[in-house]
Amino acid sequence: MSNLWATPDAPAVVSDAESRAAVRALLLALADDELIVGHRHSEWTGFAPDIESDVAMSSIAQEEIGHARVLYDQIAALEGTSADRLAFGRGPEAFRNAVLTERPNGDWAFSIVRAWLYDHADAVRLRTVAASPLGPFASLAKTLLREEKYHVVFADAWLERLARGGDDAWGRVQRALDAAWPDALGVFETTPDTEHLVRIGALAAGMDAQRSRWESDVRPRLDALALTVPAGAAAVVGGRQGRHLPDLGMLLMEMTSVWRSDPEARW
Amino acid sequence: MGSGRLTGWGAMNLGTIVPGAEHVYAVFRQDSKNDPHVHVGDVHAPDAEMALILAKEQFARRDPCVNLWVVRYADIEATAYEDADMFEPATDKSYRFGGSYREQQRIYRRR
Repeated sequence: MSNLWATPDAPAVVSDAESRAAVRALLLALADDELIVGHRHSEWTGFAPDIESDVAMSSIAQEEIGHARVLYDQIAALEGTSADRLAFGRGPEAFRNAVLTERPNGDWAFSIVRAWLYDHADAVRLRTVAASPLGPFASLAKTLLREEKYHVVFADAWLERLARGGDDAWGRVQRALDAAWPDALGVFETTPDTEHLVRIGALAAGMDAQRSRWESDVRPRLDALALTVPAGAAAVVGGRQGRHLPDLGMLLMEMTSVWRSDPEARW
Repeated sequence: MGSGRLTGWGAMNLGTIVPGAEHVYAVFRQDSKNDPHVHVGDVHAPDAEMALILAKEQFARRDPCVNLWVVRYADIEATAYEDADMFEPATDKSYRFGGSYREQQRIYRRR
């Protein structure tokens, strides 16, 4: 992947420090979401309900973490650090992922609902970036969207079969939706950085507009499966500002333990 | 073994001999548009759509692929191995062999 900051059409918008910081913040939020949700998905390896879905979920986990690497590489190119250091060398307060992604797995229904809500949100977000006049960022988003298509297909298929799989399965999905919906709204948390990106035209739609697009995508699908969105739920925000559940700290302790044993090691 | 619906030899429905065949799908992968679909393995799935979705990660995550087919075992009719002798020539049929030239492959792969 080429260096986004060095391409001819990037400096037009990211030459000033404030805009550069805002683009960096967006890349970091995207990357942290992908890394943390990818890690949560990877916790199913060996434990999914059937061997085929185990392999598929593990593949999806690898791909999300791969997307995080591509995005971290762009930040690393700007700052002279490395993707590994960004992924493994920060404490929870420095992470900008949405709370939805760090929430621990429960049953399979929860992980499918989380993946479904997240992948549809991610698709809206990447399509917005793909429409950005910042050419290199737009093409990066288009590349990632190619793999995200399967993630959505997998999550759609599982959600539909669980929701139509009888009272027990439907009930588990509804409970997972009740729990995850406020977190999912928080994926579209507005920050001064996202507002800046809209102001300079780097993002064609703000977070509220993206959230509306996402809701008009997911709500009819949930209706069709006789699932009810919790009424009047407030978004769980703060993730984009570094406010996280204790669960993220525990996830990072485990995920970074090998790297921390020797941060200078070459793998 | 075999339903014996055809006179003289025992064609069989694989659904009758593969355990759980209602939910086992044979997966056929095509490496490029000029290649035949090749049976690469099976998946368990509740329906054909899910079988395709799962087959993608089981059989197309490493190898090149442009197209997948899934077929329920219960929809496959097969010859019986007891009748494999019908494939054995009784007289010299070497005049039929195409092994000395590759014209057939060339035609298949053309485009």
